Amino acid sequence: MLLGKILSKYYKRYWYLFLIGVLTLLVTDYVQTLIPESLGNIVDLFQSGESDIKEPVLKIVLTVVIVAFGVGIGRAIWRIVLFQASSRIEMGIRDEMFSKSQRLSQSYLHQNPVGNILNWFSTDIEEITDFLGWGTVMLVDAFFMSAIVIVKMYLVNWLVATIIIIPMLLIVAWGVLVERIMSSIWNMRQKSNDELYDFSQENISGLRVIKAFVKEKQQLRAFSKVAQKNREINVKFARISVLFDVSIEVIIGAIFSIALCLGGYLVWRAFGGDPLWGINLKSGELVSLIGYFSSLIWPMIALGQVIAMRSRAKTSLKRITTFIESKEDIYDCEDAVELKDVKGHIEVKDLTFRYSDGNRDVLSHVSFEVKEGETIGVVGKIGSGKSTLSVLFGRVHNVPEGSIFIDGVDIMKATLHSLRSNIAYVPQDNFLFSDEVGNNIGFCKEDATEQEIEEAARFACIDGDIKGFADGYHTLNGERGVSLSGGQKQRISIARAYLKDAPILVMDDSVSAVDVKTEEEILNSIKEKRKGRTTILIASRVSTVSSLDKILVLKRGVVEAFGSHEELLKVSPTYQKMVMLQELEGEAS
Amino acid sequence: MAMDDTRDRLYGDKKLSLWVIAKRTFAYLKGEMVYFIAAILLLALSVGANMLLPIVLKEFTNDLNLKVSGVSFETLLILGLSYLGLTVINQFLLYCESMLLQKAGQKIIYRLRNDVFEHVEEMSLNQLNMMPVGSLVTRVAFYTANMSDLFTNTLVSILRNILTIAGVTVVMFILSPLLSLIMMIFLAIVFVASFFFSRYVKEIFRQERQKQSEFNTFLNENLSGMKIVQLFVQENRKKKEFDAKNQELRKLRMKVVTAFAFYRPFVSFLYYAAIAVTFFFALQFELSAGDVVAFYLLLSNFFSPIEALADSLNNLQRAQASSEKLYSLLDVKPDIVDLPEAKQIDKFEGEIEFRNVWFAYKNEEWILKDVSFTVKPGETVAFVGATGAGKTTILSLISRNYVPQKGDIFIDGVNIKEIQIKSLRKALGQMLQDVFLFSGTIKDNITLYDSETYTDEEVMEVCRYVNADSFIDTLDDGLNSKVIEKGENFSSGQRQLLSFARTVLAKPQILILDEATANIDTETEVLIQDSLKKMRNIGTMLVVAHRLSTIQHANNIIVLQQGRIIEQGTHQQLLHQKGYYYKLYQVQFEQL
Repeated sequence: MLLGKILSKYYKRYWYLFLIGVLTLLVTDYVQTLIPESLGNIVDLFQSGESDIKEPVLKIVLTVVIVAFGVGIGRAIWRIVLFQASSRIEMGIRDEMFSKSQRLSQSYLHQNPVGNILNWFSTDIEEITDFLGWGTVMLVDAFFMSAIVIVKMYLVNWLVATIIIIPMLLIVAWGVLVERIMSSIWNMRQKSNDELYDFSQENISGLRVIKAFVKEKQQLRAFSKVAQKNREINVKFARISVLFDVSIEVIIGAIFSIALCLGGYLVWRAFGGDPLWGINLKSGELVSLIGYFSSLIWPMIALGQVIAMRSRAKTSLKRITTFIESKEDIYDCEDAVELKDVKGHIEVKDLTFRYSDGNRDVLSHVSFEVKEGETIGVVGKIGSGKSTLSVLFGRVHNVPEGSIFIDGVDIMKATLHSLRSNIAYVPQDNFLFSDEVGNNIGFCKEDATEQEIEEAARFACIDGDIKGFADGYHTLNGERGVSLSGGQKQRISIARAYLKDAPILVMDDSVSAVDVKTEEEILNSIKEKRKGRTTILIASRVSTVSSLDKILVLKRGVVEAFGSHEELLKVSPTYQKMVMLQELEGEAS
Repeated sequence: MAMDDTRDRLYGDKKLSLWVIAKRTFAYLKGEMVYFIAAILLLALSVGANMLLPIVLKEFTNDLNLKVSGVSFETLLILGLSYLGLTVINQFLLYCESMLLQKAGQKIIYRLRNDVFEHVEEMSLNQLNMMPVGSLVTRVAFYTANMSDLFTNTLVSILRNILTIAGVTVVMFILSPLLSLIMMIFLAIVFVASFFFSRYVKEIFRQERQKQSEFNTFLNENLSGMKIVQLFVQENRKKKEFDAKNQELRKLRMKVVTAFAFYRPFVSFLYYAAIAVTFFFALQFELSAGDVVAFYLLLSNFFSPIEALADSLNNLQRAQASSEKLYSLLDVKPDIVDLPEAKQIDKFEGEIEFRNVWFAYKNEEWILKDVSFTVKPGETVAFVGATGAGKTTILSLISRNYVPQKGDIFIDGVNIKEIQIKSLRKALGQMLQDVFLFSGTIKDNITLYDSETYTDEEVMEVCRYVNADSFIDTLDDGLNSKVIEKGENFSSGQRQLLSFARTVLAKPQILILDEATANIDTETEVLIQDSLKKMRNIGTMLVVAHRLSTIQHANNIIVLQQGRIIEQGTHQQLLHQKGYYYKLYQVQFEQL
């Protein structure tokens, strides 16, 4: 059994499945042990020398037929019932984990790479499911089946039973060893495979350098070394796993042989009328004992393996529990207020921000005000903090209380749902889902009509591009569909945000990959369609922002200037430089 | 690793007939034929030894009936011990056979991997750009491993199982021909059931793998895009999508479980039924107790080989698909190769001439338009211009990473097409914009997998020359310090210096430098500039320049605009002209 807070509710929910499963297992295990007995009886009957043995033989045949049906039906039932339970639990845990991941903030996801979380979702959940399903089977077999068989063996003959069972412990030890050693060598092999993989990955990526310096031969030699190591480890892995297989067979053969010799001796003494220690062993009984021994092999191996299996499942469960119980850092405060009828007035007051794992302030003492309906620009070099600023409005990270206000309400005191519903955001990385283009645009509005989607696309000047695709708005984005250009992705994200129709729109460097003419069209769209609503445009080009109401210039997290284009030309050196650079580029093209 | 076949296509992939695949696979097998023949012989012997075990048990059981047999204890003892003896012999043979195959199989895979890797090395950059690194890596590492299964496992397991079925059948017929005939009915049922089942289950496994991979993609995408989901307040909707996928996946899992829940118990049922039949007919056909015991033992060996055979067929198909991918990659011909009469030149003076060069990466989108210029030996030339003007492209044409569509390039008056690519590249010291460092040691990175050829002292001398000693000396392990993937444990300035060291060590006659634009701390910047100054003395130097000092010291500055040369001259001359360069200079290089 595997215990834990997460699992106990599932046990409560599915206890009946486990109960039915274990009960069928017990019955199946029991009827199987009737076979060695029957075999022994047959041998006794055949060797009894009596002429009419038809009836007792038929009885035995009937028993075996019952066993056949019992085992067939029983195994089908426990497979379905137990795996039904484990797969339901698997689904439930996955569900809990996904819900949890939706509540986690970016800073958590930053510290725990997606790769790790994916591993918890796959490998770790599988360990647990495996243990709940197969582990249960192995546990029942290991304890119950071996108990019945051992009792039956003692009932037949204590001496042979003892002689067989003692070396059986070797098999248990073997099971434990196999799990331990094999899993460690398996890991070694896996590591070597990874190494080969990584080496190829790195070196094929860096082939340019190798070619430049004509070091192909040397690189191939290095590759051969890694491949050679992989080859050796594979041979070693094979050797050890074959050795394990061979050794278990030899152990079993040896026990078999001992049982035959000792049993044969006892039968011979008994036949000679001089039974050893009064033991009167019949040949049929000896055959039964050997049959019992055969059916004891699997439970013994299972016993060894289930121990290791459980410890792995326990580790996995611990990891998953840690994830599900990890602290959430962005949530509604106790007396959070609902933002209603947002007009789009934004005030940033002395905002200082640093990432939870950062060692310097990304923004320091930033203050500015955006009146409702204004469109403002934010410019600055890479690292000026402009992108960070853009995500803070939607509280992707917590900000100090009293530093950002929307319509006079501190965003830390507003409900997350109402805050985010009122802000539309175009991210810099243009993350799109591998879904149809139309669905990507209608992302936040499941019931968006075709007209609405097309209108949003026209807003972002992507309508023409999309209609040019063979499947139009049904074109799939991603590896199975078309690969969109950076500019197209940007414009689709703009359309997606536009469709949200929020009082505040924040665009983080969203037209950088778009040509100047299209950029102008998008800017016109903004002026026209977002009239009276607040828009914040973060940009790396002056052309994007020069015609806006106001422009904020950030330099290393500090406000250098905030004003109109003309004002900035006078007071902001950063801005002046950007303008000159742009003029030059304009000449070049 | 679940690899979805349809998503892993590569440029050059093609269908090969089974015959071609078999022939090419056999070519790899040929060298190890002795191993395979020996393994097959051992295999046959081991199956034979295995078949003796039920016979020993039969004799033993019959002898136990002392009333009839009247044997002495010694006979029983010998039979008992011979059981162990046969087991030991059998297992020993199996061990030898397995290891022979492993060694041979791994050797083949090792060779195959080297062949594939070497082949990838020979591709031109243009070809490599068309092949996603991930797909190439999968071929080098993963598909080759699939093939190794074929040699070490599948082929032999097929043989072993056929031999076992044949062996069991033969022994059964020896014991009782009539009962054996009845058993053949069971054999046929299991046979048919297994093949249908394995085909069916292969299909649901495929569906399950696909669902699983879709599920993982969904998760990956949603975890990476969680910011968007949260900002657009779409958690509920995504949760609903997740629920549907989660449910689907579970249903498929249960489909697999149900399939096995019918098949496996059915085979168990047949096994026990066969025992019942044996007991029943043993009486009819008047078999001995020993015969019954032998049959009992044989039956336990009878059904599993059939199940295994069905599995092997699936593996065989997988190996076929993998080898098809490998062979088609090996069939892609490198597109930049030496002409047959190409010259090997060991030392260049360093005169470079571009004569009316036109170049486009994609058809007709000209990056370079009619570019002509000459560089005298020992000169330093700087290329200047806006992004996309074609500066970097000029440099990659010299090293023949790409071939111009029109026009020619000459070094020392020889058309570079007529020079062996390797001897050409050996003469060039290329320092690329983003320095690629490999994981390993600093020395490995400077010598590029050639650590043994150079002594530490030689490498250190070069490092001192380019000022890389300044930081290498501060590291505990000096030249043997670890470099992590992509060299992330070094600053961009330090990486630059390492790439300089790499270049100087190779003793080139022509230096090609694409200056990085990355922010470099002032201290390292001074070191880089000083080292560049020294390197100008090595030979001809072509630089895509971003540094004022580099430009100022150039013998000639070539100004490019949209693929054309628009101005040329020294720094002072160009400033005097008050043209494009003048303006560019003002914005890019003058401190405000």
